[in-house]
Amino acid sequence: MKKIIYLIVYGIATLMILGGLRSSKVDSDFDLAAFAELPVQVGGRIKPLDSVARNTLLILSGRQKVVTDKGVTLSPIEWFIDLTMRPEVADTYPIFKIEFPDDLGLVGLAEQGQRYYSFNELLPFSEELRRLYGEINPAPELRSPYEKQIADINNGLMRYHRVMHSLHPVGGAERLDRLVDEYQSYLATIQPGMVELRKQQAGEEFDAALLKRFITFADDYLKLSTTAYLRVVPPPPPVDLLKDWKNIGLELLDVMKDDPLSPYVTSYASLTMAYRSGDAEQFNREVRELRERFVADFPGDISRVHYERVFNGLQPFYISMQLYVLIFLAVCISWLRWPKELAKAAFWVLVLTFLIHTFGLLSRMYIQGRPPITNLYSSAVFVGWGAVLLGIFIEKFFKNGIGAAMASLVGFCTLIIAHHLAMTGDTLEMMRAVLDSNFWLATHVVIITFGYSAIFLAGALAILFVLLGVFSSRFNKDTARSLSAMVYGIICFGTLFSLVGTILGGIWADQSWGRFWGWDAKENGALMIVIMGAIYLHARWGGICKDRGLMALAIWGNIITAWSWFGTNMLPVGLHSYGRMDSAYAWLIGFVLVQLVLTATALLPWRFWRSEFGQANYRKEKKRSLIAAEDAKA
Amino acid sequence: MKPLFQFFSSLKLTVVLLSFSLLLIFFGTLDQVQYGIWHTQELYFESFLVVWTFPEHAPLGQHLHWIRIPMPGGYLLGGMLLVNLLAAHLTRFKMSWTKCGIFLIHSGLILLLISELMTDILAVESQMPVDEGGSSNYSQGFRENELVFIDRSHPEHDSVHAIPASLLKPGKRIEVPNTPLSIRTLRYYGNAEIGRATSGSPTESIATRGAAVRMGIIVNPKPETYSEDEINTVAAFVEVLNGEDSQGIWLVSNVMDERFPPQMVDTGNRSFEIALRFTRHYYPFEIELIDFKHEKYPGTEVPYNFSSEVKVTHQDSTKNQKALIYMNHPLRYEGLTFFQASFANQDKTSIFQVVRNPGWLLPYLSVLLMGLGMCVQFGMHFFKFLSKQRR
Repeated sequence: MKKIIYLIVYGIATLMILGGLRSSKVDSDFDLAAFAELPVQVGGRIKPLDSVARNTLLILSGRQKVVTDKGVTLSPIEWFIDLTMRPEVADTYPIFKIEFPDDLGLVGLAEQGQRYYSFNELLPFSEELRRLYGEINPAPELRSPYEKQIADINNGLMRYHRVMHSLHPVGGAERLDRLVDEYQSYLATIQPGMVELRKQQAGEEFDAALLKRFITFADDYLKLSTTAYLRVVPPPPPVDLLKDWKNIGLELLDVMKDDPLSPYVTSYASLTMAYRSGDAEQFNREVRELRERFVADFPGDISRVHYERVFNGLQPFYISMQLYVLIFLAVCISWLRWPKELAKAAFWVLVLTFLIHTFGLLSRMYIQGRPPITNLYSSAVFVGWGAVLLGIFIEKFFKNGIGAAMASLVGFCTLIIAHHLAMTGDTLEMMRAVLDSNFWLATHVVIITFGYSAIFLAGALAILFVLLGVFSSRFNKDTARSLSAMVYGIICFGTLFSLVGTILGGIWADQSWGRFWGWDAKENGALMIVIMGAIYLHARWGGICKDRGLMALAIWGNIITAWSWFGTNMLPVGLHSYGRMDSAYAWLIGFVLVQLVLTATALLPWRFWRSEFGQANYRKEKKRSLIAAEDAKA
Repeated sequence: MKPLFQFFSSLKLTVVLLSFSLLLIFFGTLDQVQYGIWHTQELYFESFLVVWTFPEHAPLGQHLHWIRIPMPGGYLLGGMLLVNLLAAHLTRFKMSWTKCGIFLIHSGLILLLISELMTDILAVESQMPVDEGGSSNYSQGFRENELVFIDRSHPEHDSVHAIPASLLKPGKRIEVPNTPLSIRTLRYYGNAEIGRATSGSPTESIATRGAAVRMGIIVNPKPETYSEDEINTVAAFVEVLNGEDSQGIWLVSNVMDERFPPQMVDTGNRSFEIALRFTRHYYPFEIELIDFKHEKYPGTEVPYNFSSEVKVTHQDSTKNQKALIYMNHPLRYEGLTFFQASFANQDKTSIFQVVRNPGWLLPYLSVLLMGLGMCVQFGMHFFKFLSKQRR
């Protein structure tokens, strides 16, 4: 029986990992993997097209896949190549996520139960959507959910349009199928066109037809230079990493200034023609050539770009998320049956998941060349990671599944938060100048975020204590004591890290602004965590609070930490601009309310605690009051 | 005596004080939305008592605006915590090795509280804008103002006689140091709109001399702003007296700066320029900006680096030096610290934050103490726990 249980748990874990890995495979004659790796400069760094495809899709659809109206599932890069090279097909893919289409009031758009709409479906309403967009509140943070939805659709359509124009000018089939010819005839027109233009300006006789053709090109490429979203044309060698790349339109325009046309531009044109005509061989040859040129120009960047594409496909955080659920369930079942085997299996899966989580964290560090936390998204990933690390230690000492269960719970929740934070765009963005200090990012930020991990884990353990104590009859004194010790240990740890982190932050502030402490919202939040820890520790050492009170305080730690982590970021800046009621705000309030209810539960008189532990305390309490009454009588 | 000692040294008091601190910091963060950071700091953390009011403009504000929560301010809480700590150490704690961690943490904390108080009282922050190729020997406050009389008669230097604006109370007469003059403030505005009189504007000007009369400038009072990116336009009507003779009434304001013709006060043999301006701090050295750099990440508007190459020329030429001031790398010089704060004028002007904080080293010391103490304390707990587990 033992073996079967191990087999089942490990089997499910293996299946989950394989499932995650398999979903990134693409079957195609075209070498899409190489195409996905072509470089583009976004947000100050060079990354693969694959990342752009994924981020764009996340923003438009909220997921990293496309399901066509025929039920075929496309990977982000398959969608991206269709969007740029076969726009007439891409326009039929339902990728615009509209949560509440009925609310828009667009007659004929909303379909029962349909949440994803294609460009073609939205096209008839574009006029109307633009009109609605003009009427909504111009300040994004003051928009109602209805207005936000309208803004999202409009911005989404705009982004869709701009990304579509990234690799070459877009037009009907007759234009896309002859891009190479178009560029050639443009190049041939420049010289004589300029001559005719000068003639016209000088008031001499000129060839009107030639000039018109030249000006049509120029106008078109000028428009393209403002539309094309991606900077895909690197400057000619020698390489300067701090130089701006150009978008296609700009590169085409600059040819007029006697710059040679970059081979990247023509390569993308031939790629498009090969893809459209279904010529896989030609396509693969062009991709290889493009790639080799990039390798030659940017030898220091190719391995990172390649790694990023591979990393995108592996989705370690997605796999970790699923495994955390498995661990949590396994431990929960272990409390009912097969306690030893399931707990042990859960522990090893937890270690494995921790390694996968760590791999994701380290990969991001390598790609970005930065310490692990650079924005809210990465802080969420890190909080979960830290909690799991602590959970593994607890589990190793106590071996009762509690540490594993709560660590996986915190890990799962923070990864879900990270997943939702990723919807806003690139999560590997560049650091603003004032934050540009690897030393402080690596010390202050990491330490303080680890403090968040600890306090959240302690809070989760306290919640477990309260729920088991009040509702489970099997919860006894020993479990209570070990849980209590866990909470205490983790809070000691959390307080230490929060304090050191806060102080390091003060030193950083002193180094960059000459002010050790400025009472800034985020600073205050960190200080509140430290004080919360101090309250807990002093209340415990002074015997001011006993079990119930201490657990209530630990749960309060959750509230304070959530406030410090998210609440302070939501505070509107500037005078009188309250009312920012976006969804994160509602989630935060919901979280706080739940914690308040749990605190109240923790403070229930012993009489209501159904557990063995609670009842024992109740009897003790009663006895004590009886003795006191006796004494009073005597 | 004993119960009093017991009260002040009790752990219960510690927990209560800490809980109040939590409350104070929370509301002190919330109110920054209304009052901006500086004013909130004064209200909450540099005070003895503060009352939080439910903000009118928050959701449900109209219905809940009556809610008021009084709480002890930062000085009171900090002071009480200090007393509590000292009393606890005097009465309860016996020095022993097991307690040395706690002792270290607490002394670090005491030092931190003291250093914060010192910073509050002693630290001076100001800004110094310097143009590329130009230099400057003074910095300017951004909230405090001063009324100055400038004697430009000396060919090599001007002499400046300054009165802090906080002393300009209506009705009060103040001697201008080292001059025969004295002033009487007739009206003072913490913030105002200053402009030309137009027909129909509800206006009055009591000025009898200077630019206000010549250009028909009028003052409309405004509530003071606490926002970080706005300044208060301070203005005052000031009567200048030479002995007992009134010389007239001038309007002065910190927006009437170099762009305006100087307002002169003549006393027969000497003449002074009168002006209200942001408080200036003069230094015995000049900072020359050789080059300012503002780099961005390629293809974005995200700043990647700001840096200022400067040359410091001191009256005592042995102290001359060159320096590069950039993010996280300030110049510490003569008890002052120069930080790269901002820039203006299409990257041609660099703005330095200039801080004089005599206690700047204290937090570092206290950090060391607390960190060490925590490691000792929790380290001991942890090893005790480990050995218990092994048994």
